[in-house]
Amino acid sequence: MATGETGIIGKGIVIKGNLTGGGDLVIEGRVEGQIALKNHLTIESTGKVQADIRAEELTINGEASGNIDASSRVAINASAKVAGDIKAPRVVIEDGAVFNGSIEMDVRLPDDI
Amino acid sequence: MANTVIGSSIVIDGEISGDEDLVIQGTVKGKISLKESLYVEGSGVVEADIETQNVEIAGRVTGNIVASDKVELKTDCRVVGDIKAPRILIADGASFKGNVDMDMKER
Amino acid sequence: MATAKELSASNNVDNTVVGPSILISGRLTGDEDLTVRGRVEGELTLSRTLIVEPSGVVKANVAVRNAIVSGVVVGNINATESVELTREGRMVGDIRAPRVIIVDGASFRGRVDMGDVEPGRLPAERPAVVRPTAVSRPSVTPARPTIPAARPTPPPPPSRPTPPPPPARPSAPAATTRPSAPITRPGLGGLGSKPLPPPPPTRVERAESQAEQAGAAEPPTPVLVGAGAKKKVVVKKKTR
Repeated sequence: MATGETGIIGKGIVIKGNLTGGGDLVIEGRVEGQIALKNHLTIESTGKVQADIRAEELTINGEASGNIDASSRVAINASAKVAGDIKAPRVVIEDGAVFNGSIEMDVRLPDDI
Repeated sequence: MANTVIGSSIVIDGEISGDEDLVIQGTVKGKISLKESLYVEGSGVVEADIETQNVEIAGRVTGNIVASDKVELKTDCRVVGDIKAPRILIADGASFKGNVDMDMKER
Repeated sequence: MATAKELSASNNVDNTVVGPSILISGRLTGDEDLTVRGRVEGELTLSRTLIVEPSGVVKANVAVRNAIVSGVVVGNINATESVELTREGRMVGDIRAPRVIIVDGASFRGRVDMGDVEPGRLPAERPAVVRPTAVSRPSVTPARPTIPAARPTPPPPPSRPTPPPPPARPSAPAATTRPSAPITRPGLGGLGSKPLPPPPPTRVERAESQAEQAGAAEPPTPVLVGAGAKKKVVVKKKTR
């Protein structure tokens, strides 16, 4: 994928295989396989991703299934449908989003629990 | 003013403890220990041993009561159990069955 | 349907408050809203809304209609309508609800099950007992095994007289039918203790309106749900 710039996988595109890269990526089409990005991945509402995803930040408006490992943040927006396990320091699920799976963030609990 | 209110539809089976006033309108079974005042309102049902500073009972209590200051049984309350407190008030119309201990040492 | 904003204003009648210095340990059931500023441990079953304020700590298995968590919850929450973790909310445990909201700033560890089958979306995964298998993650504790067996498959949703149209909501039937399995000590709980709901009403909004009707029509029978909840196990291991 692109390096540094924002890449776009358009609506008509289907990719099967691994995606790696250093830039931002917007997926409007379909991707099946694995995705490893250094920066920001956005899955648009038309996008469908079946892949394990690694990225710094992930914004999902479309559909994603697979495990997600983000170093900073995952946002599951209202139109998103997501299934899989998520590991990230910050995870946001908007009202209306559908998510099934586990979430792992750091939870600082009081000492006496 | 009490911070804690156990509403009329609430049923607690277990222990309640704390440092503030407690108002019971619902049902509590188990044990209550407070450092402040307990109010069992008319709708309140308590089946518990009670340890507190003050108690005012207008509802029903079954259990032993130990208060460091005062126990007040109000009209229409029904209390079964032993009461130990330096001051005990029983209003006309209250129903009570049990022993009363106003041991001077408690004062 | 209620989110934090909508809810905190309404439903002020019959509001039970657990003050900041109060500790309740045991089983709490009720048909009114509950606001926790202190601490509640054990098992909590409400037919309405649980609000855990920032000073509040709930270490319990929770079965409610709605939950709004701004404080700390350790344990599983099973909500017939919604669970919202606000900016200050911290939770370790599993959430099962048709509507789950996690706001930026909240922290959470556990499973989320919205039990929602979008038409055409991974329907195969959803049927009840399937999910527990996904659970074979190492962090999971022994408590889990009891559940899948105990939790009957959705089809006959017995207890809850849900309004005809929708399939019964997840929680009720399961709770009632669950045999009295051994009670697992809180603290040992497993993530997976959360069973899979019956293929639930499809869209969230609809689920909500049904839920409201159902809730109004008949609050979940506290005792039964409670009993179920207890078995369900409270806490995930802290260390993962």
